[in-house]
Amino acid sequence: MLKYTVKRLVYSVLILFFVMFIIYVLMYNMPSGYVETKARELASRPGATKSYAEWLADLNAQYGMDKGVVGGYFVWLGNAVRGNWGDSWVWTIPVTQEFHNTVWYSFALGFVSFIFEILIAIPLGITAARKQYSFTDYFTTVVAMVCISMPTFFVATVLKYVFSVKLGWFDLSGMQGRDYMTLTQFGKFLDVAKHFVMPLITLTIISIGGLMRYTRTNMLEVLNADYIRTARAKGVPERKVINKHAFRNTFIPLVTMLGGTLPGLFSGALITETLFSIRGIGYASYTSMTQADIPFIMFYLAFISILTLLGNLISDLLYAAVDPRVRLS
Amino acid sequence: MNSYNLNEVLKAREAAGQKSASGDGSVKLDDISRVKVLSPGRQVFKRFIRNRLAVFGSVMLILMFMFSFLGPLFYPYGQKQIFYKYEPRNIDYGMVKENTAYTGYDIEGGAAVERTVNNKMNSIIKGMLSSGEQALFVMGEGQGYRVEKLANDVYLTSSSAFEEVCSYGSGESVIGTYSMVGKKIENAKKQVEGLEAAIQDAIKQDAKGGTFELDGVMYTYSRGKAKSYEITASIDGLQYMGEALDEGFEAALDGAIASDASGFEYGGTSYAAVKNGDSWLVYRLSELVPARVYTRLTVSTYEVGKKVSTQLNVAALLATAQGGDFEAEGQKWHIERKDAEWIVTDASGSEFMELTPYAVRRYNGDDTMEYGLKKALTEKALEMASSGDKTGSITYALPMQTETGEYMVNEDGSLNYQDTELKLSQRDTGEFVVNCQQIIYVINMFDAPSGEHLLGTDGDGFDVLARIMYGGRVSLMVGFVVVFLETFLGVIMGGLSGYYGGWVDMLIMRLVDIFYCLPSMPIMIILGAMMDALRMDTYIRLLIMMAALGIMGWAGVARLVRGQILTLREQEFMVATEATGIRVKDRIFHHLVPNIMPQLIVQATMGMGGVILTESTLSFLGLGVKHPLATWGTIINSVSSASAMQHYAFIWIPVGLLICITVIAFNFVGDGLRDAYDPKAKR
Repeated sequence: MLKYTVKRLVYSVLILFFVMFIIYVLMYNMPSGYVETKARELASRPGATKSYAEWLADLNAQYGMDKGVVGGYFVWLGNAVRGNWGDSWVWTIPVTQEFHNTVWYSFALGFVSFIFEILIAIPLGITAARKQYSFTDYFTTVVAMVCISMPTFFVATVLKYVFSVKLGWFDLSGMQGRDYMTLTQFGKFLDVAKHFVMPLITLTIISIGGLMRYTRTNMLEVLNADYIRTARAKGVPERKVINKHAFRNTFIPLVTMLGGTLPGLFSGALITETLFSIRGIGYASYTSMTQADIPFIMFYLAFISILTLLGNLISDLLYAAVDPRVRLS
Repeated sequence: MNSYNLNEVLKAREAAGQKSASGDGSVKLDDISRVKVLSPGRQVFKRFIRNRLAVFGSVMLILMFMFSFLGPLFYPYGQKQIFYKYEPRNIDYGMVKENTAYTGYDIEGGAAVERTVNNKMNSIIKGMLSSGEQALFVMGEGQGYRVEKLANDVYLTSSSAFEEVCSYGSGESVIGTYSMVGKKIENAKKQVEGLEAAIQDAIKQDAKGGTFELDGVMYTYSRGKAKSYEITASIDGLQYMGEALDEGFEAALDGAIASDASGFEYGGTSYAAVKNGDSWLVYRLSELVPARVYTRLTVSTYEVGKKVSTQLNVAALLATAQGGDFEAEGQKWHIERKDAEWIVTDASGSEFMELTPYAVRRYNGDDTMEYGLKKALTEKALEMASSGDKTGSITYALPMQTETGEYMVNEDGSLNYQDTELKLSQRDTGEFVVNCQQIIYVINMFDAPSGEHLLGTDGDGFDVLARIMYGGRVSLMVGFVVVFLETFLGVIMGGLSGYYGGWVDMLIMRLVDIFYCLPSMPIMIILGAMMDALRMDTYIRLLIMMAALGIMGWAGVARLVRGQILTLREQEFMVATEATGIRVKDRIFHHLVPNIMPQLIVQATMGMGGVILTESTLSFLGLGVKHPLATWGTIINSVSSASAMQHYAFIWIPVGLLICITVIAFNFVGDGLRDAYDPKAKR
């Protein structure tokens, strides 16, 4: 187990190395003269402490632009490994600082929608599987399919249209009301929570379908297994069959999959946060991407690549942990 | 071995059986009519059409393709066709303004006016208006000018050469510099007899400076540079520069100074008195020549569009001095005052034009309004100005317009008139703006659904239905191309990896891991932003986007293909291909790949929906396909602001539903195909 974990970790680091290299090449080939423009802009910004030439030298040195693609990559990698991610060009603060400012909003959003997703999708999936080919089953299947097929921006736009424009319950976007500063600490919390409602619904709607189908498929597989038939044959009450024999076994793939998505809660919802102007890491990175803020993008992409690899690793390890039949090698 | 069709064989046997046992009506259990063997393809098809959701999906997809690819052939509008319409709108029709600025007109054959004087003429005239003077003298650099009021709002400027006559009042005037070296006065402004001797005496007494008296005039001298002294004389009373003039002149000068005038007339000659501190300098303007006439009156002809020459205008303005007859352009004219206006009639006595301080123009500055309308608007504006109302309205017959915004003409060529309400409102700057309803030609923006435009028009005047059709083409095409690309790459890489195993497998699978880990959405956004920065053509963007999506999506297909091949490789028929020595290429692509076709088709169908979603999201964010090329995402993006979302739901709701339906249909079909290919896996 330990040996396997170590092996996987080494592999992950290797993959990460190449992933970041591909991204670095992409960044390196940003339109020519970009660093010059950026340096000029930074130098002319109000409160700029460095001159144009200083910024240019600084930027070139920081990102190893003067050393070619491969050389530059190792400069960046060396800095990154030492935890020196540089200053964000858009947010004008250290990248890690901006990360710290935003990631917790994203995590809150992701975590709550994750809870809702589990609470809604798993019971529905199990019900659908229990009553295969019934109306409930078809209904659930169709709903799941519709949820999977809806573009995020359309869900968001419909929600905005219904709840903001027509009913006027929520603000169109943003995460604070206009009287935010006058509120008490608890009032502020409620205000932000109110602004999180629509993004939460959006995230839940678009993620619910996949989990529902996954649950249904796995539950059906378990229900068709021999030991369920045996349990029924020996007269175990149906509720006990479902809740104990079937659900516990359905749990194995579910835990594996959900465990794998846990790191993803930190990665932020790029599109949803952007559409609702939630100052989470997704929105911050979207802004950085459209304005070619290289330090922040490199950091963010490295971050989500690590999260993806971590997710895969966790899911594999969990698989072995919850299912004693599986032996990792 | 040739292909062996069981159905054919059974049919042949049936025919033979019927021939031998005709007449026997009983049906046996193993009768051919009871058993029908289907080919694998037909079995799949049969299972597929039994799935209601899959059939629904297929029907939707067929409709969608017909709509997107055949629709534009039959639909009369293009995706970039802009629609216009004629619409009655409340427009700024005209403007009524009381002129306050004076414009100068050159008198033919007259003198020129220096630019500095010309520039300050407006303030000079306003000064005259407030002091009530009839004439005013202005000294320029080389000429002196007399501005004379001819009539209300009309001023004539004449110019002349000048010479200094005298100075008057108490003050100081510079005499010159006395040089100790030359012992004489240099730069003398005025010759005074005995001054040199007097100053020598004074310097002997006090070398630093002081005063001395000569002929009743006090002189002050002070030490300048290089052994010289500046001499100034204290002026007191009247001092002539040249020869003295008689007492009548002095009385006139006194009178002018007492009334604080800038000049006076004496003995048929004009004198200008320029104040300098407490003293005056008096200039003689020998011969005044008329130069320019300044006025705030504008010409308004009775007949619309008549041109009035400057010559006639100037002659009329000059004639305002005494009124009555005048000649211009070889014709006789008559001018008469009426309220604030002057009315000019021609030789036959019919009214020709009017000089008025009120300028009534169309809003764009054209002088194309009728005289009667101008008059009515002026009167209303004056009434409003006196009553202090900021808004008001009059009704006047304006030329009638047809639905296409042209003027309606009778058979005899005259215009039709129609009573129109003209609304006047005063701006803070004083002028009155006239608004009225006119039919004008505008881009048909955000037109609600109608018979002409079934889904209305969007913010650029494009037909929404046409945009949706062409947008569907792009979206579906992107889906196909991307899925084809990723399947193509995936099959080759996965096939190589699965078939060869070993280090090839190792290498390709690590590559797959890397591409699996690449965050595709951020990379697409970065690519979009990059292409924005390079201002790429929208068609090239489309190609690059498709290529990027394909390259980023092949890893999943490769994994699937490899997995399938690993299991298939161990089966007997693969061993047989090896034993019969079939080439590797044929083994992979003729024997392995056809066996993984079902999974590939399912994967591709499902992938199509995903690609359409990604593409529309990117286009919605403005980072994919760009205006004016339509895709479903860009159409929604164009109405995503809060107000557009509220008012133009007829644009974005159909498009959003189309995206949903298409993606759902692809997913249903994919699901149905999977179940049909592999009924054992059906859950």
